[in-house]
Amino acid sequence: MIGKLLRKNTSPARIAGFILSNLIGLTIMAVGLQFYLDASSIWNQEDSFLKSEYIAVNKIIDASYTLGNSSPEFTEEEIADIAAQSWVKKVGAFSRADFRVYASLGLDTPSPESQSGSAGRRLSTAMFFESVPDDFLDVKNGDFTWTPDSPEVPIIISKDYLALYNFGFAGAAGLPRMSESLFSGLPLQLTIISADGKTRRQLYGRVAGYSNRFNTILVPGSFMESMNQKTQAPSRLIIDVNSPGDSAIADYLQSKGWEQAGDNSASSAAFMLRIVSAIIIAIGTLITLLSLFILILSMSLLMEKNRRKLHSLLMLGYRIEDAARPYWRLTIGATVAAALLSFLCMLSLRAFWIKPLEALGGGEGNLLWSALLIILLTLAIIVINGIAIKRRVTEAWRV
Amino acid sequence: MNSGIKKIELTEMLPKVFVGENIPHSGVWMTHCVFERGNHYLIEAPSGGGKSSLMAYIYGARDDFRGTLAFNGKSSASFSIEDWQKLRRRHIAYLPQELDLFPELTCIENIRLKNRLTDCVSEKRIEEWLERLGIANRRDYPAGKMSIGQQQRLAIIRTLCMPFDFILLDEPVSHLDAANNGIVAEIVAEEAARNGAGVISTSVGNPLLLHSAINIKL
Repeated sequence: MIGKLLRKNTSPARIAGFILSNLIGLTIMAVGLQFYLDASSIWNQEDSFLKSEYIAVNKIIDASYTLGNSSPEFTEEEIADIAAQSWVKKVGAFSRADFRVYASLGLDTPSPESQSGSAGRRLSTAMFFESVPDDFLDVKNGDFTWTPDSPEVPIIISKDYLALYNFGFAGAAGLPRMSESLFSGLPLQLTIISADGKTRRQLYGRVAGYSNRFNTILVPGSFMESMNQKTQAPSRLIIDVNSPGDSAIADYLQSKGWEQAGDNSASSAAFMLRIVSAIIIAIGTLITLLSLFILILSMSLLMEKNRRKLHSLLMLGYRIEDAARPYWRLTIGATVAAALLSFLCMLSLRAFWIKPLEALGGGEGNLLWSALLIILLTLAIIVINGIAIKRRVTEAWRV
Repeated sequence: MNSGIKKIELTEMLPKVFVGENIPHSGVWMTHCVFERGNHYLIEAPSGGGKSSLMAYIYGARDDFRGTLAFNGKSSASFSIEDWQKLRRRHIAYLPQELDLFPELTCIENIRLKNRLTDCVSEKRIEEWLERLGIANRRDYPAGKMSIGQQQRLAIIRTLCMPFDFILLDEPVSHLDAANNGIVAEIVAEEAARNGAGVISTSVGNPLLLHSAINIKL
């Protein structure tokens, strides 16, 4: 009965206006956040051993290096200068091998020429090794350590190499395509010839992991130390940075004539995505805030029209909460409806981008975060508006 | 206040609008006036004497007065809104002069609006009161369409729909004939006796026909 009394004069148009604006605001916010989560999962495929905040830096090789006039190695002063930059957390050097490596891979596929059937085909190639300081590697699980007693040398290779094999080489050579796990299981025979050519060692290697972002073949530092006859000045640096997309990094490297190795378009794209998403979410927040004002204003107007009745109810002894409840119910209903609709709208808009993003390896954003964002904002609207309503009722205490 | 209100005390009370005016001797203003539970009081005053103000002050509807108002010795100055609301549900019944009905609700809905809050009076007794006051046939009429005299009787029934220690009646029979005045007085006296309550009724010359009432000139 109180509800019937107090909701008189309710303007459906104003309530619909609020629902619509709140719906638009929340949808834009949720779309911004969800698209960010879905798209950023493209770049968030973590390397098993290397954090995504690492970048590799080298000098740009031009004709002067080829002719031997200048050195592609970093001097200690240059390394110290990098370490002093604000975007740097720590710097380490890639160590190069001074020995030669040949790797051969046993593939037990009967070759068409071989009649014996038992002899597999062997794939053999010259290789190189690099290593990075241990504190740049997540080696807690022990998969990527080496001691002189170890039966095998663990190796991290670039994913691109496997892709080159699978999509380029294997097809042309009539060899089977291989998954990462299958490739890791194959025995790799390594022949290591020292720099002076005097010693020759046979070892077994095993692919322990793949890197998305470093075009190199990494072995544990301990292995490199024990095989190298003399230490070399580093020509590549590994840097732990605060934010890989930071434009300060590109500016610095450009001023020095150095470059970031590998595909850094990913991190600048990720950086752009972050900025664009932040702007979209901010616009959505603004619209949501405006919708809150619409709601507060229209409730104020409605309650002003019913002020005499509110006063009469309080005169009868009804509690402030009793008189506020019909308005609370009305606004909670409208707000929750807008929230549910906005989530549905976001889901149906997501259908447009999820397929293309999945094709790029993304689309794995958790829906929980957008749901949580909508829920938090809805709660905030309900609480703020609830307080405003209670205040209005209290004002009706005196005529 | 759980045990109920035993007395209402006014000390040096004066409506702020009267401040500075030369007011004649009064049994209420600028003195020490005590209303005790169980007694019946008839307050007689000319128009503009502040009867309605007094009722509104005691009910907490207005507070534009000087001096103090105390319930069981406790000053109303410290009351919160919820304190007043509790008073209005459990201790003090009030019939305002302007009745304060909801015109769009029917006669019975107006009564139920109060009775549901207090859960005090049976539907049977409400029907009985409607009969006795001669408005049973207007039970389902919108209050706004009833005559002013009928509205007054409806408002009286609504006022009785709560447990009370005091009942404040502001010109309760101003629009009623002597016969209806007598019936209202009878019902009010019955309910006051049931609650062991005090009755404070005002008039400008047509007093509620209460027996053995204490007359006070405002």
